[in-house]
Amino acid sequence: MRTGSKKSLLLSICMMTVVGIVAGCSGSSGNKENAQGTAPIETTTSENAYKDKYDPPISITTVWGVDPELRFKNNETIEKNVATQWAKDTLGIELKSLWSVTDTNNAFATKMRLAMSSGQEMPDVVTIGDEQLAQDLIDSGLFREVGSLFDQYASDTWKKAVELDNHVWDPYLRDGKKMGIPVLDYAYNHDYLLWIRQDWLDKLGLEAPKTLAELEIVMDAFKNKNPDGLAPSEVIPLSIGFKNKMNTWMADPSWIFGAYGTIPQQWNVGADGKLEYGSTQAGSKQALEKLKEWFTKGYIPKEAALWDENKAADPAVAGKAGILPGPYWMSGWPLVDTVKNVKDAVWKPIAIPTGADGKAGRHGTKYTNGVVLINKKMKNPEAVFTYQNYMFNNLADPQVGSEFDNGVFKGYDYDIDASGKVLHLDDIPGGYVNSIRYLLVRDGARIPDAQMKALLNLANGGEAKTKLELEAKNNYGTETPAAAKVILEQDSISMKNMFTGPTTKTMKSKMDYLNKIESQAFNEIIYGEKPVDSFDKFVETWKASGGDAITQEVNEWYDTVK
Amino acid sequence: MAFQNYKPWLGLTGSEWVGLDNFRYLFEREDSLQVIWNTLIIAVFKLMFNLGVPFVFSILLNELRKMVFKRFVQTLVYLPHFLSWVILGGILIDILSTDGGIVNRALGVVGIEPIFFLGNGDWFRFTVVVSDIWKEFGFGTVVFLAALANINPTLYEAAEVDGASRFKQTLHITIPSIIPIAIVVGTLALGNVLNAGFDQIFNLYNSLVYEKGDIIDTFVYRTAILNGEMGFGTAVGLFKSVISMILILISYRLAYKWANYRIF
Repeated sequence: MRTGSKKSLLLSICMMTVVGIVAGCSGSSGNKENAQGTAPIETTTSENAYKDKYDPPISITTVWGVDPELRFKNNETIEKNVATQWAKDTLGIELKSLWSVTDTNNAFATKMRLAMSSGQEMPDVVTIGDEQLAQDLIDSGLFREVGSLFDQYASDTWKKAVELDNHVWDPYLRDGKKMGIPVLDYAYNHDYLLWIRQDWLDKLGLEAPKTLAELEIVMDAFKNKNPDGLAPSEVIPLSIGFKNKMNTWMADPSWIFGAYGTIPQQWNVGADGKLEYGSTQAGSKQALEKLKEWFTKGYIPKEAALWDENKAADPAVAGKAGILPGPYWMSGWPLVDTVKNVKDAVWKPIAIPTGADGKAGRHGTKYTNGVVLINKKMKNPEAVFTYQNYMFNNLADPQVGSEFDNGVFKGYDYDIDASGKVLHLDDIPGGYVNSIRYLLVRDGARIPDAQMKALLNLANGGEAKTKLELEAKNNYGTETPAAAKVILEQDSISMKNMFTGPTTKTMKSKMDYLNKIESQAFNEIIYGEKPVDSFDKFVETWKASGGDAITQEVNEWYDTVK
Repeated sequence: MAFQNYKPWLGLTGSEWVGLDNFRYLFEREDSLQVIWNTLIIAVFKLMFNLGVPFVFSILLNELRKMVFKRFVQTLVYLPHFLSWVILGGILIDILSTDGGIVNRALGVVGIEPIFFLGNGDWFRFTVVVSDIWKEFGFGTVVFLAALANINPTLYEAAEVDGASRFKQTLHITIPSIIPIAIVVGTLALGNVLNAGFDQIFNLYNSLVYEKGDIIDTFVYRTAILNGEMGFGTAVGLFKSVISMILILISYRLAYKWANYRIF
């Protein structure tokens, strides 16, 4: 049992591959029965195959990785449910499922890999969340170029949504050709701000800190003159953790590096327009020096190196931390629970403080959450756009009184009582089901800035009218709109990881080692085991052990997408 | 697969054969010697103590007179065996904390400065070994107790007639009787010498202790699974199996020679 799960995983993969090959050989060579159904539309294919509704209906094959949390009602399954029925009735598109699997422990990616390696029939359309798998599938050559389809068939709403950031295509480019349609997600989900205990600030008579220097004064006061009467050893003025990375989704110190003009563990655009690795820049050295100083003074947790994201949030929720860095949605979770422990705790969002020369930075959020791939052999590739155009036009930001105003499917994710009032989620007969997950593409359709716009409207005192606004008002934490405003006001400091391409050759063999020496060097500097100047030696080793080669490869890729 | 640059969509037949490249990579990495050394040290310590501690403990337990108490202790020490390292990892981080963790507070009472158990390389190894023994020695004890129950009671009776004390009886009857079992258990454990315990280390380690705590399994996990380098992962698996097999063969010979024990 202590052999480690890795070995048994490998073993089972080997076994399954063998089984898969055998099964693949005996399998039939694809189903041809729908050839008949599509024949009648051939007449119009040459000029304009695109239709808002297909009559007679056509079919699209797909595969599903079902979220284990997703529930079904009325004896439905992912293959046959209210959403597939809706697509057939409204769009004339019949969704056929080749297979489906409950997506625990990455089961979907594994099954997809096996299907690919055993030469099973590939689905017409598939949405892939796993970045590595997506790259492998594209490289397998089984999926077609989609850029021309997108230009031809995508609706204006969809095109505009994609144009918010043209870099969303970058990971899926091959020789300048777009090989997959990025699945858009809400923007700024991982952009940082600071959550601060406003009640402590008020009791101490302090202003919200705007620079690192002011931040230090505040942290010192939190620790040594704690307004809740906590002993200095009990307070964690700034709760951060970097067990996994210095650049992650909650409670990391990347914004401190931002104050010195760089973001660690990602590729930033340098002064010469080329990409450079944030961790090896001079700014990182200064940031480490600052972190070391804060560590010595007890401003950050003694065991920050052992704490992951959730652990770092614990003292904040327990009412023992003054500041917790993280995204705008944290008012809803985890900070909402603080009042259970400390009755009058008030968390407020504030902007990322600037460094001595006015610089500030935070890591940005990419607008995508996966990719849609279209099979080379698909007969009606434009049907994907029939489906998704409808989603973008009607579901992405439904207006008052429109079809999806209250939710996607009545009786599933919303319901209305006899008097026309929208029921609370818990009161839906038969229970609430997140039926948006039944749709062909994950989450239906999202316009990156739609949610932020809704939140901003609320923050500026607007009334909640549209679906997104109501959702934001009812389901998210009370401070979320204000936090969204802070995020948007500091939009210019957001630095995205500019390298989104496939893993390069040297990265494959060297990146793990480089990451290892990096986090070792950083942690040892912060913990005072090595002097700050050992940073220079780390950079030297980093460059010599493959870092230079990787930088070159990354920039070669960047030149192709610029 | 171990000799291929394995790509899932090309399959076993289509992937490129790269000879010993995967193995070369394992030994060419700047830190691979360190990693193998870490694995060996941690595994050997675990092996020794996981044999010694249950051995002594079961003899002590065997001397207890109250059956109820004996059973109770036996069950109690056996319990941690059923806990997963994911849970124990979280608990250990809390109780070993330098900032109010129960262990360091206890040390503080006797005037010892707080020790950063999980953040200092040498202490990390110590912690890993000790916590593993705490978790697993109950299991080993059960095996030895079974062996102890099998000792012929007439031997003790005869010894008593000859006037041997309780201690002498233990020394000359109990211990020699269970030595063969100890050798068998040790032999079987030798095969695991390259497994320093992935679940445990993975849940406890952090970048501060990479130098002394990174083992083959965690290193393969990061390279093979996270980066999708299946060929490399298989190569390491094969390498480990070959080493384990050699060790088992050797120890099997030794067990035969010293304990006259053989399976086949």
